[in-house]
Amino acid sequence: MSGPQSNRLASGGRIDRSRALRFTFDGRSYSGFSGDTLASALLANGVRLVGRSFKYHRPRGILSAGSEEPNALVELRNGARREPNTRATTAELFDGLVAESQNRWPSLALDVMSVNSLLAPVFVAGFYYKTFMWPAAFWEKLYEPMIRRAAGLGRAAAEPDSDSYEKVSAFCDVLVIGGGPAGLMAALAAARSGARVILTDESFALGGRLLSERAEIDGGDANAWIARVRDELDALANVRILTRTTLFAAYDSGTCAAIERVADHLAAPPPHMPRQRIWRIIAKQVIVTAGATERPIVFGNNDRPGVMLAGAVRSYINRFGVAPGRRAVVFANNDDGCATVRDLASAGIEIAALVDTRASSPQYISELAAHHGVRLVNGVVTDVEGRLGVRSVRIRPHAGAPFTLDCDLVAVSSGWNPNVQITTHLGGKPRWSDTLAAFVPGELPRGMSVAGAAAGDYALYTSLAGGARAGHTAAEATGFSSPPIDTPRADDEPTSIAAFWHVQGTRHKAFVDFQNDVATTDIALAEREGYRSIEHVKRYTTLGMATDQGRTGSVNAIAILAALTDKSIPETGVTAARPPFTPVALGAFAGHHRGRTFKPERRPASYDWTKANAGVLVETGLWLRPAYFPRAGERDWLESVSREVATVRSAVGICDVSTLGKINVQGPDALALLERLYANDLASLRVGRARYGVMLREDGFLMDDGTIARLDEQHYFVTTTTANAAKVYQHMQFALQWLWPELDVQIASATEQWAQFAIAGPRARELLREIIDAAHDISNAAFPYLAVGDVTCCGGIKTRLYRLSFSGELAYEIGVPARFGPALWQRLLLAGEPLGACAYGSEALGVMRIEKGHISGPELNGTTTAADVGLGAMRSRKKDYIGRVLGERPGLVDPARPALVGLRPVERAQRLRAGAHFIARTAEATAANDDGYMTSTAFSPSLGHWIGLGLLRHGPQRQGEIIRAVDPVRGEDVLVEVVAPVFIDARGERLRA
Amino acid sequence: MRIACPHCGDRGLDEFVFLGDARVTRPMADAAEPADAFHAYGYLRMNPAGPTDELWFHAAGCHAWLVVTRDTRTHVIASVRLARDVALELRAVASTTEDASA
Amino acid sequence: MPDPILQPASAVAAWTPVATAGLSIDVRDDLTIAGIAPFRGKAQAVSEALAERYGLALPAACRRISGDDITLQWSGPDQWIAIAGRGAARDLEVELKPLLAGPAAVVEHSDARAVGVFSGKHARDVLAKGLPIDLHERAFRVGDVAITHANHIGVTITQTGNEPAYEIMLYRSYADSFADWLRHATAELTA
Repeated sequence: MSGPQSNRLASGGRIDRSRALRFTFDGRSYSGFSGDTLASALLANGVRLVGRSFKYHRPRGILSAGSEEPNALVELRNGARREPNTRATTAELFDGLVAESQNRWPSLALDVMSVNSLLAPVFVAGFYYKTFMWPAAFWEKLYEPMIRRAAGLGRAAAEPDSDSYEKVSAFCDVLVIGGGPAGLMAALAAARSGARVILTDESFALGGRLLSERAEIDGGDANAWIARVRDELDALANVRILTRTTLFAAYDSGTCAAIERVADHLAAPPPHMPRQRIWRIIAKQVIVTAGATERPIVFGNNDRPGVMLAGAVRSYINRFGVAPGRRAVVFANNDDGCATVRDLASAGIEIAALVDTRASSPQYISELAAHHGVRLVNGVVTDVEGRLGVRSVRIRPHAGAPFTLDCDLVAVSSGWNPNVQITTHLGGKPRWSDTLAAFVPGELPRGMSVAGAAAGDYALYTSLAGGARAGHTAAEATGFSSPPIDTPRADDEPTSIAAFWHVQGTRHKAFVDFQNDVATTDIALAEREGYRSIEHVKRYTTLGMATDQGRTGSVNAIAILAALTDKSIPETGVTAARPPFTPVALGAFAGHHRGRTFKPERRPASYDWTKANAGVLVETGLWLRPAYFPRAGERDWLESVSREVATVRSAVGICDVSTLGKINVQGPDALALLERLYANDLASLRVGRARYGVMLREDGFLMDDGTIARLDEQHYFVTTTTANAAKVYQHMQFALQWLWPELDVQIASATEQWAQFAIAGPRARELLREIIDAAHDISNAAFPYLAVGDVTCCGGIKTRLYRLSFSGELAYEIGVPARFGPALWQRLLLAGEPLGACAYGSEALGVMRIEKGHISGPELNGTTTAADVGLGAMRSRKKDYIGRVLGERPGLVDPARPALVGLRPVERAQRLRAGAHFIARTAEATAANDDGYMTSTAFSPSLGHWIGLGLLRHGPQRQGEIIRAVDPVRGEDVLVEVVAPVFIDARGERLRA
Repeated sequence: MRIACPHCGDRGLDEFVFLGDARVTRPMADAAEPADAFHAYGYLRMNPAGPTDELWFHAAGCHAWLVVTRDTRTHVIASVRLARDVALELRAVASTTEDASA
Repeated sequence: MPDPILQPASAVAAWTPVATAGLSIDVRDDLTIAGIAPFRGKAQAVSEALAERYGLALPAACRRISGDDITLQWSGPDQWIAIAGRGAARDLEVELKPLLAGPAAVVEHSDARAVGVFSGKHARDVLAKGLPIDLHERAFRVGDVAITHANHIGVTITQTGNEPAYEIMLYRSYADSFADWLRHATAELTA
């Protein structure tokens, strides 16, 4: 069976025969038509072996015609766009499509790994846990690589994804999930009432099952009815139709997520178009009209290519105009056999037999069989024969002797499962229906309803009527009232069923979960080994996992386990379905958030200048701060940083500190609030002065530090570290709104209003004098250390000036409205040139703060107390503040706690490393002897050697002691001397100069 | 999950930051056994299966702290109140009780 | 007068080139903005003082109101901002402090925000890609204000016209990242 579209029917199908599309599968060229899926095009070309199974590498074909497909998984496209595990049954054909089969070597027809079938005893349920347990050393080197090569799915692309993805929010009154007959009626009913409606469907065409059946609505072809409904919906402004869109998750409060395959039907997305788009849909009412999924019957070799769901057989005939075989056996436990026989016959496909598992078939079935001259057998198909596909079936009638029939297609149905997954994502359990032999939706989340086949209403008229009712009710619930709409005329076809799951006494392995190669024997083994809960059996055997999530196999598995454990199906229960309903690419979840745009960046005032002058930027939270500014001839970062430090210590430097958090705290109770937020005393802070402050968490550990400036009697202006700004603001609001709501205070962030620069060095005042307008006295007497005030600069620009020093030098911080920031930055550098000024970055700032023993992020690390970092004396004894009581717990005031010290190498040329652990000189370097660790290190250009800060047990008492700084990661072991954590100007004379 | 901010209306979870139990009250600094009282405040939680009162911050919205009454079994939110209003009510109740016992 | 060397920098220079057919972006670098935060029980007094001076009272939560020479916009619980064109040298902080000193904290915000007005037939759809709120005309109308986020960036959106037109306000340092996202979101319009 091959040749150019040799299995294409002469007429029929919803394909465009005028548009031929070329494609390749495993390197061979074929053609199909617009409207085909890859699966239908392969079948049209007589290709029915499309993949090898996961564990045993068994030949597999196309089981279904939808997203439930467990077998026909292919690698689609190539290069950076190669996507593994794509279901051939949902991949729309496009011109130039390239697909490869998976999990076979060297070729599909000759797969040497199929010897795994001979090893089947090894690959039984739980094989991971049993076979490869020991010796342990073999796991990483031998077992895992071996298993990964032998058992697996497709290959992911090796290159970065070249496509773009996006995320969109959408709101509606009524969300309708599924555009089949019930969904179309629901959408129509809700839309006519004026409600805002979103209708999603995973296919590229609306209609659902109607596309695959020969149904009549309103006395005409159902396709004509679909077109009329679509036209009406398209014309309504309150309706949004999303095709090629799978609703894959329902979350709380009416939030649902859907994936739209915007450009997957094209060879490559046009440059302006995202490949896929995630919709976050917030709906007041959700109607699930997601249809139903057919189940196969479990019998011997039931996974051979040519065994196909009966509904899929009808899809290929009716929707795609393809004959999925030449001679068929129909095998069913329900009335699905009727339509299948009828459609096969009308497509001219020979029907060898209709095998009905029921003891006797309803009269209309025997009449239909007689009408088409089809042999009706009440019995079962026990086995399929044929190596790479169905060649014959063995049939065991309920009465009479078994016999064999030649055929190449087995159309199989054990009934339909309503697609209840979306109704259970919020934890609800489906309910078993004996009448339907299926799980139907149980208790539904608030605001959700179900209609059509998803509710178990398989027959057409009932489904249409149910959809209309659901749409009307949902719209009314959102406040849109209108008369109920009429249900169009249609027939209710027969849908009777007698539960039947599993043929006993087969010769060959009978598969339950095709994708995971789980056979009936695996379930039996799991049960014998004590796994009796369906959730345990799922995990032990892996049934119901992977891309298809057991949509075709899981109810059969439950039924088989129920029989083994002598329980009913409802007693056995069902495994929880979790999002996503179908696989979603990680790139779609990431959307815009990848690479450089992974997260937003914040740019300070000096950003453009820094970029233009080849300055190096560093991330601090979301901010990009200048780290250092290399100059021509400097060999490395250390040389640049050392030059910047030396410039500040000898002349003057300018540093962008705009990123510090700045918060206005104002009101009659501003002081009262700040007194409770900061551990140190603030009551004595005068207007026009600033003070360093530390903030504790309620558990007594340090939270943040910064300065508090008093601008006015009731107006304070506090700064936070760059990284903690948002956290501190939130904490302050918490204290104000929740802890002490009686306080009359207003808090407002001012971080972004002010561009702020530190001007530090012995010549800082000279530089500032060039900038600050002459009317303002900034002499040491008028504007001493820790003074703060509003002035003007550059001819009247609002300016807030602080005399603060992180570097230990004579220093100021100057704040101007942010729009003047870039210009002031350049102006300062220009004015500073004659003074020998330079720009310095966060690296030089870091060196200088270590030289001064000021704490920063590495010391403010969430595990330190104020006392640990030498600030214990700041803690006020006179007031209540956050962290006071728990900060006095014995463990937090233990004098043995590691506390801040300075460190310098005994051999001055040696380098110190942050992260090195302190060990007493004579002790062994073990965890038990750990005395603390180095938090920060820097090369001090002022001293000419490396220095460090660290947290050392009994640190303050150990000054002068020689200890070891051991860095096992780098293999370093350095003798260091414990010194006071201030290396420069211990008396603080420079900053008051 | 969505939370109906009393100021901003119905908003998605991603606008909010969760803090924790709203049924614990910060002890007064002059509590009888402050260490015990603060230990309980800092560390002891009920973790009920059912309705809880939780503190959430509308971080990407109006910056109001909220007390959200949520059923931990279903995520159904029964009420959302401004933390400040709840705190002031609790103050009023506490002072009434104090007056009564005085 | 400011030293001519200190030229103000635009916060929103990166936004203008993103405009495309069906999406106009009118950047607003010319605004003076001041925060008004009445102290406890003083909102009424503040509102009355503003009404007397400008003919506008403080708007309700999530609302904005505009007069001839000032716009008042809710900006959070018990907080508002006043917005006006800077013109020659208008400064709302300086203007409002004497009027409201005592009952309210008045804080300069002019430079903290990047502001632009988005209009055109695609304005709503483009913004809906990033803003997780309902901008449909039934849910969000002229004068409505929402404080929310887009692409992890805090955003205040106000509908300023029926076309529809929306004013977007965000912290200045995020303006370039917002432009990156805008370029991504508008890509399909540029075909």
